[in-house]
Amino acid sequence: MAAETEVEDGRLVNVKITGDFFMHPEEAIEELEDMLIGLHVDASAIEDAVEEFFRGHSIELIGASPRDFIHVLKMSLEVSSS
Amino acid sequence: MNETWRLIDMRVEDAYTQMATDESIAYARGREDTPNTVRLYRWNPSAVSVGYFQNLRDEVDLEACRRHGVDVIRRITGGGAVFHDYDGEITYSLVALDDNPKIPRDIISSYRLICGCVVNGLGAMGLEAEFKPINDIITGGRKISGNAQTRRYGVVLQHGTVLVDCDVRKIFTVLKVSDTKISDKMIKAAEERVTSIRQELGRDVSFDEVRRALISGFEETLDIHLEPGELTAYEDELVEKLRERYLSREWIFKR
Repeated sequence: MAAETEVEDGRLVNVKITGDFFMHPEEAIEELEDMLIGLHVDASAIEDAVEEFFRGHSIELIGASPRDFIHVLKMSLEVSSS
Repeated sequence: MNETWRLIDMRVEDAYTQMATDESIAYARGREDTPNTVRLYRWNPSAVSVGYFQNLRDEVDLEACRRHGVDVIRRITGGGAVFHDYDGEITYSLVALDDNPKIPRDIISSYRLICGCVVNGLGAMGLEAEFKPINDIITGGRKISGNAQTRRYGVVLQHGTVLVDCDVRKIFTVLKVSDTKISDKMIKAAEERVTSIRQELGRDVSFDEVRRALISGFEETLDIHLEPGELTAYEDELVEKLRERYLSREWIFKR
């Protein structure tokens, strides 16, 4: 799994999470990405948002966990903000 | 109870028509417009499919695909990138209402059941294989089939590959395996991870023999009778519409 992120003025303006996992329904990935846009680039804000997203939706993840999403987002943000 | 399902048998079409057909049947099934269906098919020209969530440019060598006349498509199912070799693969798809009592609600259990159809088909040819969660079928530790499932429109759609022949060098040509040059060592390592029916049985097994074995595998495992049939007019129309979406750059390069 990997994340591509774009940041402007300390906020996420573009997010893509990619990989060979399974997520049912598939379109939930776009919802998750849309929800992250506008968020402050802050580890705990990202963590809360992702966890909240998976708690609030009936989404089945196979071959990945919400932690993986958080991990790749943080990795990407560290890279793109450096 | 013995049910009759429809069999759409061994159509040879390009990637866009094949993926549109799987989705068309799923949609029509959800509307109760068509029966539960098993399809067997081949991809011509050969194609690379990527999973719904994959970054196409990371996975596929587009220039190599162009050079070799290999189509590129994005699936509606998750999972990894696959090279669908016209000369080496039969693909199956299964569409059933997701509340059919034969289909477990739990996704891994339903993979196990549907992959079991392929396992039993291989068994009928004397090839011992097993389901390896999440979505593989292996024999002697090597992968011989990859599978992917989606649930939408109130149905289960699972499609998967069955390797009749396997040319690892071809796979490495169209998929981006790494930045390094394809070496004999890499080919050897990959050959230890994947295999094919012909390789395992050590003879020139025909597509028709595999086809018949798979049909019996589905019938016995699911306790169904597969009745050869055609797409409905509604499904045909929908294939044409969906095909346009699968062909669009917007969809293919979505991620």
